[in-house]
Amino acid sequence: MHNIGNDIVDLKFAETESNWQRKGFLEKQFTQKEQDEILNSEHPFLKVWLFWSMKEAAYKCYTQSVEKRFFAPQKFECSLFSKEEGRVVYGDIKFYTTTSFNTFYLHTIAKVSKEVSTCFSGIGSSKTVQIDLKIKLAAITGVLSEEIEKRKTSVGAPLFYHQQKLLTKSCSISHHGNYGAFVFT
Amino acid sequence: MTKEAIIEELRTIVKPYIQNEEGFKNLNENTDFINDLEINSANLVDIILDVEDEFKIEIDNDSMEKMLSVKATIEVIQTKMNA
Repeated sequence: MHNIGNDIVDLKFAETESNWQRKGFLEKQFTQKEQDEILNSEHPFLKVWLFWSMKEAAYKCYTQSVEKRFFAPQKFECSLFSKEEGRVVYGDIKFYTTTSFNTFYLHTIAKVSKEVSTCFSGIGSSKTVQIDLKIKLAAITGVLSEEIEKRKTSVGAPLFYHQQKLLTKSCSISHHGNYGAFVFT
Repeated sequence: MTKEAIIEELRTIVKPYIQNEEGFKNLNENTDFINDLEINSANLVDIILDVEDEFKIEIDNDSMEKMLSVKATIEVIQTKMNA
């Protein structure tokens, strides 16, 4: 399986549009172990959104192969190997995650295989993420970006085509607040 | 509670989170929270918690798992209210 998923969190937006301290917020989405880790963390706010983006990226990776949608964040359990590297376990499937951080956002990429396979990603404005993706894809495949067309799978995962030819094996697009991010292979 | 009354209540609940006005204007039983209203998945939990508060019900994880559309949400609310 070469599927890949990603999730971006606009940290300013997360601060204003969500309230992680709201009653029930942690209990509904995080396992007991994760909740303990969040509450004992030096930066609980960042831990909440780091775990959330890991779960979401893994979910987006998973649903590309099973083609079903659901909302069960607790079933995706996160653990960290380091600040950036982690693992999400869903049933007997393991996803490996890498997160990049800065003051404005955090961005997680999830893969089923730990092996480094060629994948391309980009982070930019929420408004231009699709154009950015097409430009990158055009540069790699040598077709004109204007001729690249997006089609969605039954679960809403995007795939990009040039006429009848599929250009992406797996692709994931994420929006949150001002930011947009993509990853494809 | 009738389906129509629940839909009206849901309209108020989802309003702060929607990003697609057209989808919101046409909100009906077949509306999907993410595909039609473009609600960010990070806000799905807020909708679940608001539904619990408004309808005075408790939503277990199995029910929550299905709540991606108006239709599924109505079913969960009706089942819990009649329980």
